[in-house]
Amino acid sequence: MRGPQDYGGLPAGPVDPENNEHDPTHWEKTVDAMMMLLFDQRRRLARVDESRRMQEALGEDYHKYPYYERWLQAISWLLLEKGVFTQEELDAKMAEVRPRLEAERNGG
Amino acid sequence: MSETHEHAHDHEHPPHAHDGKPIQEDALPPLEAHVLETAVRELLIEKGVISSDDIRRSIEERESRNPALGAKIVARAWADPEFKSKLMNESDEALLTFGINMSPMELCVVENTQEVHNMVVCTLCSCYPRPVLGIPPAWYKRRDYRSRAVREPRAVLQEFGTQIPEAKQVRVHDSNADLRYLVLPQRPDGTEGWDEEQLAKLVTRDSMIGVSDALTPAEIED
Repeated sequence: MRGPQDYGGLPAGPVDPENNEHDPTHWEKTVDAMMMLLFDQRRRLARVDESRRMQEALGEDYHKYPYYERWLQAISWLLLEKGVFTQEELDAKMAEVRPRLEAERNGG
Repeated sequence: MSETHEHAHDHEHPPHAHDGKPIQEDALPPLEAHVLETAVRELLIEKGVISSDDIRRSIEERESRNPALGAKIVARAWADPEFKSKLMNESDEALLTFGINMSPMELCVVENTQEVHNMVVCTLCSCYPRPVLGIPPAWYKRRDYRSRAVREPRAVLQEFGTQIPEAKQVRVHDSNADLRYLVLPQRPDGTEGWDEEQLAKLVTRDSMIGVSDALTPAEIED
């Protein structure tokens, strides 16, 4: 069975390389860095295959997420699965972070 | 519909140079993603799994991996047959001379010749020889390239302005988590006697992915 990630050979549109260069933003680089740190020899908290398993578990939502948001989802699920933090800890932290980021975005 | 989302996202942020300039406070992600990322990052720091310094260093390390590094390796392979043989047969050892450790992955170098043109894709995700070339370009990660590179490589190559003669075979290599590919482009004519530094200027990122050839001496003249 074809998973949502399994694009090989399917019909698709033009590659249009000139309009698809986009260097990663600082935020995307941060997500990238977090994933690489979890993969590294010191931490060994995850491997590429595990990250892919989590991304593919998005099912049809796989296509809705931009690339690094997919990575971020994989990171958070992997860390929950491995017990690095709990869902309760994550929910509490998100509730604490949200108003702070909202204020920053409103120029606060 | 989903793809237009990803597509639109890739266009939201103005491009900036591939030159490792200081990090700019550029475009922000959607709030939900920003909240999740910040929460995960802060939890990891509080729990001592990573530090802010680790993140900064990891970003810097990533930025030091860019196509200029790959170009030096290709230039040496062109200039030094012994190095080339090592790169083709024991790439780990050859890369170590450039301070690159591929572990736990393996790098397979595929050579373009008069008979064969190689190109690289990762149909399942975005596997790429990151320790040598850095972060893959956006088009490499997008559906259009991933889907079509394996079915109609010549048509895809044409979209990069690359025309491969019918008589030449096109080989497409599908990367995976453990095995990454780097294309060794053909050394352009008219470069006899050039040193490695001059040769490296001809080697583009796209030529090492195999979606184009190396530049010709005429193309870098101005």
